[in-house]
Amino acid sequence: MSNLEDKVALPPEAIKLYKKISSLKEISIKELEKVMQLDRGKMEYFLSFLISNAFVERTTIVNQKYELTDAGRQAAEKGLIERLIVTALLNKQSLNFSELEKILDCDKQEMNAGIGYLKKLGILQIIKGKLSLLDEKADINKTMQEVLKELSKGNEVDITKHQKELIQRNLAFVQEIKDSILKIVIPYSESKSMITESVDISRLTPAMIRDGSWKTTKLRSYNLDGAPPKYYPGRKQPYAQFLDEVKQKLAAFGFQEMRGPIVELEYWNFDALFQAQDHPAREWSDVYRIANPKLGKLPKENHVKLVQKAHEDGYDTGSKGWRYKWSPEKSARLVLRAQGTSVSARTLVNLPIPSKYFSISRCFRPDTVDATHLSEFNQAEGIVADPSITFRDLLGILETFALEIAETDKFLFKPDYYPFTEPSVELSVRDPKLGNIEFGGAGIFRPEVVRPFNIDVPVIAWGLGIDRLFMVKHGITDIRELFSHKMEWLRSAKMS
Amino acid sequence: MVSIKTSYTKMKELLGIDVTIEELDNLLSFAKSEIDDFVEEEDMLVIDIKTSNRPDLWCAEGMVRDIKGILEQEAGIPDYEVNKSDYKVVVDSALASTRPYIACAIAKNLDLTDYSIKQLMQHSEKIDNSYGRKRKRSSIGMYNLSMIESPIEYKVIDKSHKFVPLEHEEEMDLPTILEEHEKGLEFGDIVKGYGHYPILLSANGTTLSLPPVINSNDVGRITEDTKEFLIEVTGTNYETVNVVLNILCQTMADYGADIYSVEIVYPPEIRDENDITPLLEKEEIIVDLDTINKYLGVKLTSDAGTDKLRERRFECESLGKANLKVKIPPYRKDVFHWVDIAEEIAIALDYNKLGATKWKVITTGGLLPETESENKVRSILVGSGGIEIFSNILTEPAILTTNVNMTKVDLVKLQNPVSLTYSVLRDRLFPLLINVLSKNTHETYPQSIFEVGEVVKIQGKRVLTQTHASYAFAGAEASFEDVHKRLHMMLDLLDTEYKIEPISHPAFTEGRSGKILIAEKICGVIGEIHPSVLELNQIWVPVVVFEIQLPSIPTLNCKKKFTD
Repeated sequence: MSNLEDKVALPPEAIKLYKKISSLKEISIKELEKVMQLDRGKMEYFLSFLISNAFVERTTIVNQKYELTDAGRQAAEKGLIERLIVTALLNKQSLNFSELEKILDCDKQEMNAGIGYLKKLGILQIIKGKLSLLDEKADINKTMQEVLKELSKGNEVDITKHQKELIQRNLAFVQEIKDSILKIVIPYSESKSMITESVDISRLTPAMIRDGSWKTTKLRSYNLDGAPPKYYPGRKQPYAQFLDEVKQKLAAFGFQEMRGPIVELEYWNFDALFQAQDHPAREWSDVYRIANPKLGKLPKENHVKLVQKAHEDGYDTGSKGWRYKWSPEKSARLVLRAQGTSVSARTLVNLPIPSKYFSISRCFRPDTVDATHLSEFNQAEGIVADPSITFRDLLGILETFALEIAETDKFLFKPDYYPFTEPSVELSVRDPKLGNIEFGGAGIFRPEVVRPFNIDVPVIAWGLGIDRLFMVKHGITDIRELFSHKMEWLRSAKMS
Repeated sequence: MVSIKTSYTKMKELLGIDVTIEELDNLLSFAKSEIDDFVEEEDMLVIDIKTSNRPDLWCAEGMVRDIKGILEQEAGIPDYEVNKSDYKVVVDSALASTRPYIACAIAKNLDLTDYSIKQLMQHSEKIDNSYGRKRKRSSIGMYNLSMIESPIEYKVIDKSHKFVPLEHEEEMDLPTILEEHEKGLEFGDIVKGYGHYPILLSANGTTLSLPPVINSNDVGRITEDTKEFLIEVTGTNYETVNVVLNILCQTMADYGADIYSVEIVYPPEIRDENDITPLLEKEEIIVDLDTINKYLGVKLTSDAGTDKLRERRFECESLGKANLKVKIPPYRKDVFHWVDIAEEIAIALDYNKLGATKWKVITTGGLLPETESENKVRSILVGSGGIEIFSNILTEPAILTTNVNMTKVDLVKLQNPVSLTYSVLRDRLFPLLINVLSKNTHETYPQSIFEVGEVVKIQGKRVLTQTHASYAFAGAEASFEDVHKRLHMMLDLLDTEYKIEPISHPAFTEGRSGKILIAEKICGVIGEIHPSVLELNQIWVPVVVFEIQLPSIPTLNCKKKFTD
């Protein structure tokens, strides 16, 4: 409580605000902003007088709002998958899987989830591969569909009944919206007698300096306790900034940067890395293929023939090779870069010895996007080539990465597998909260990888999971945050 | 990576020692595996096995085989006796061009529990799926031997042939199985590609299976009461088919079964000789230990090298000097080269005990000139008050087209997107900035944002990757000046002359927008976003933007890159 005996001087704008809040008793700061038509920064300044004198009290509230995910928006627009299936079956009585898939024109996984859902509820049966309805009257999840529709329009709607399921099925998520509520403590009518309008000068003008009038003018004291107006300086995106720092560190270790294209030939992404053409990682489900154009052109250099030989019979390495007929067509298919090692593979052409290279590259995998998976992510990758190099040197390099980049001395090496390196090793670092985290992988390129490029010295290939490292360092649990478009986060995420 | 489920208690029984979860995880690392999850109430371990070319490790017995070597409980290649059986499989020459190879064995005196049957099925399934390339390259079948008579025929049969497939009660003809049976739907395409139906028939006329799709419901059903098994692997690759059989025989032998061989009678169109499977002859590789010592940075004597390789379940013989003859267990086909043997030695030595050595390769490091160039632009735009945005390169077509009033855009599309949201590659940046603004209309204005990043376009028949910079300013007072002054300062700082000429662009307001030209070449766009676009994106303040291709700025070092 303020001391009512004292006189309090307030600027006229603060008095205006005081009267408004007093008449309303309680108002959110966002509302007040609209009502007063006052810039937020100035408003905060004048409010600070009212708050510091305890005429007005301020509390922060957090409102929860449900927002739709991509899947949720799709379900709002097209309809929930289980409803679509029921409708399809109502029209056709019974369908087999592929017929239903054609009608629905949706992702197979999604369809299967819908079928499973209906089966569990006892609405649908599968007999000899034919799907049919057990309950033709079931208007399943009608209210949920309506809720989705309302949410997609941005309307407020009671979702308590469906809340759990919407979140579980990844159709909606909770967004927290912060606001401040201003409450009147002493109504204006009670404190009116002790308030005077301040008349002192708030601004030192160029004219006052020049004409000397500042000598006879009383300048009003600034309120040093009050919150300043909001201000957002330009800044780098926090994750991009982190990648910059990693690049700087790698350059300081003597690594030269390299880059490669986002749309890549399978040749560089797989074949040059001795990944057999029927390797599961090359399948439709594991790598994005480009629809237009489907094919690129293989390099004209001799190494293509030698890579082919390495696959077919091991070339001059003494290896058995994969022993199959290598196809140049498969190798010329265009894909989205699936591993940063493709950039290293390109660098093997005319590789200087000794040399050390790195790249931080965007890589792509056909994953369903959720809290732990993205369809695109960043990989730090590189190579070290020198005649003197041994497997123990490779462990030394990983040790440096653990100490200098992950900034921990708690790490472990584990045997690992990559088709293109032998021996292969995983670098696992220990996080006090999350336990062991796979932070990197490395190995010495197999002779079947380097010999086609006429390289005779050991070449170490290494990779670091920098996305994960950034998340651990910043306490981020949802990987989608890395590409967050929330202005609030972009403006205010802490630098470190 | 392959993931399996197994029992913690059984795992300890197999190992013959009591280990904590953490100790077990450490031991599993020697079998390139790790514990992903442990569900204590169910005694269930979820184990991830990282290697895709060691299917022998994809079951508890297989991992334990490797770990027992490391624990020095066992060494060398595990041996078991194989007796001859009277069983024969006769292969039809018509299969020569489709699925020609088969390998078979018999396991007797097996006492399987419900748990071990499930484990066995899990292992077969993992092998079929990954190593067998979803049954295309190889697939496994197991049968109740007591119902089968020799000779077994592996042949092509007419589609009218009928049998009762697993999990069904009525006879079905072969096309019906492919169209209606769950497994037929999953794997039927393989058989459809053959143009005929392969079948395994017992001499008494009973059907064993339609490989690689489905077993019959009687002969092909394995239960706790099955004491004698016929195991069969068919496929397109001779080596794969045989190593898969070897893996299963080894596991069965580990279960305590007696293994019997089966004769495979091949027609000359497929192989010149008949086989007696399993083929347990051990492959050999001769390695030079000096070379391996140098490769790893260690100094092992022949004796020590031999010991280490025996720990890894190889047999070893010294040939004098540093040469070792290494015999490879018949359940492995992943040794191609001496580097593979080098890794086995390194694993036996324990990566964490090898001792990491200090760097000795001294080179000059640095960023690429194009990264330095992009960083210059980024710092100028940060200095102009811009908040940097980091967007996905893979995006939704509407964001790049209809959301900004554009229709005729030639985007690079994916053949196999997982969702529409990530199905095309961005060909420009400003539509993504509009999208960011549309999601932040509740935040304080003005909003000043930018992105410097790669975009992908089609040029002729080639795919082009290049870096663009785009800046957007949104606010009640936003005007052309807000972007013009920033573009001007940026290009002025970069010592580059430019011109702006009027443009008619569907995303922008005519008369309030222009194209940017450097050296008479169009390299960007600047202006006020059309109110209809703002309305569409529910942005209720004016927005001005510019976007420029960085390779067009001569004082920067950015280049256009073509994929080929």
